[in-house]
Amino acid sequence: MELFNENNKLVSVIHKDHSLLPVINRLGIKLGFGDSTISEICKKEGIDPAFFVEIINVFHYEAYFPEKKLMNLSVANVVDYLIKTHQYYRQYLIPEIDRLLKLFLKSCEDHCAESELIRNFYDKFQTECIAHFQIEETEEFPFILALNSAVEGDFDKNEFISRYGNFVMRDFEDDHVNIDDKMFDLENIIIKYLPPNYDQNIGNALLSNLFMFEKDLKNHSRIEDHILLPKVNQLLKALDRHE
Amino acid sequence: MNSNPNKIVIVISLSDIVLTGLAEILKGSLASEVILLHRADEIIDYPELKGHVIVVATAAELEKSSSFISQILSMADNIQFMPFDFDSNSAHSNLVLNLNDTPSLICYKINEALNSFFSSAGKENDTELTRREIEVLQLVTKGYSNKEIADQLFVSTHTVISHRKNISEKTGIKSASGLTMYAILKKIIDVSDINPDELI
Repeated sequence: MELFNENNKLVSVIHKDHSLLPVINRLGIKLGFGDSTISEICKKEGIDPAFFVEIINVFHYEAYFPEKKLMNLSVANVVDYLIKTHQYYRQYLIPEIDRLLKLFLKSCEDHCAESELIRNFYDKFQTECIAHFQIEETEEFPFILALNSAVEGDFDKNEFISRYGNFVMRDFEDDHVNIDDKMFDLENIIIKYLPPNYDQNIGNALLSNLFMFEKDLKNHSRIEDHILLPKVNQLLKALDRHE
Repeated sequence: MNSNPNKIVIVISLSDIVLTGLAEILKGSLASEVILLHRADEIIDYPELKGHVIVVATAAELEKSSSFISQILSMADNIQFMPFDFDSNSAHSNLVLNLNDTPSLICYKINEALNSFFSSAGKENDTELTRREIEVLQLVTKGYSNKEIADQLFVSTHTVISHRKNISEKTGIKSASGLTMYAILKKIIDVSDINPDELI
């Protein structure tokens, strides 16, 4: 496994795995980056190159997850990346899947009773995803950022305790398993069990987007469950020591 | 034709750990009876066995004893020999049990083999699920918990969980709402049987 490093040209990285395009967008890179290396681009855009390289490696290589190394990443960077990922899902990927699903279900010319079932299933799934992102953004992430500031001394510890003393971190993992399962179910229902009277090309486009969402979500969950949660525990211990 | 013939698994091993371990695991399978033998020649006590029989033993043991076993079990409808492999590195096969297989995988392989006996006789409908799994699926779509399903079918919760695992492995559908959609598409249940707002 040859990992990407900061001396790689970003264009070569993208040619190797174009599914990284939305990931580099989230990290603040836009198209038109010429022949620059990752390190040059990061310098220009004010991005931590070590963070950039770890994120694209974790995304590209499913087996690569160096927890110790990842635990050293800045909490603010990780949270910022996760929020931008949510934005990408909400503003682009979910509406795009929604649009393709509408086209796909409309393409059935006969009386397709299952269309309504699939629509219902997806609507509920979508609502669950968005609610999950919302809770993370309004409750979990602000707590994690405040905790990090309190440990680093940028935020008064007593103030932190009075504000968050009773706060209990939700375990993201159950939600993630539920979302992953439903995504997988939707793909299989469409691939295995749908009658063949739907437009196949729109179906393929819909499935490509579902697979992309699935891969992205898995990665996203991996970062939350295996970096963010252990990091919170580490910070809580550090805060106890300071008291 | 008897619509519900015996489904018997015979395990032959000198090791009590293997015997009791497999017996415990196979409680979650479709087998109606599990017979544990230390040696192949003990089969002589079972000449009257009828139904579908799977014999599990090491490949060496099967090579040595399969023709003898077939002779004794002359009243059985079918006999399938399934090797039990202790080499964790060997290639995966649905026709071989491996020491490192998870309990659900072992049950799945045994169930597949038992079901394969029926495939030539024609299935009741076009789903690949067994009758028991369909019963479990119907109760899942009604929103029952594993415990409630176990009570209704007079089986243990462990058995229900094992059926649910098999259902998910066979259909590729994991969530209760996904399974409900599957059951409607496959006409196992009717939309009017459920509350779609709640279950899908």
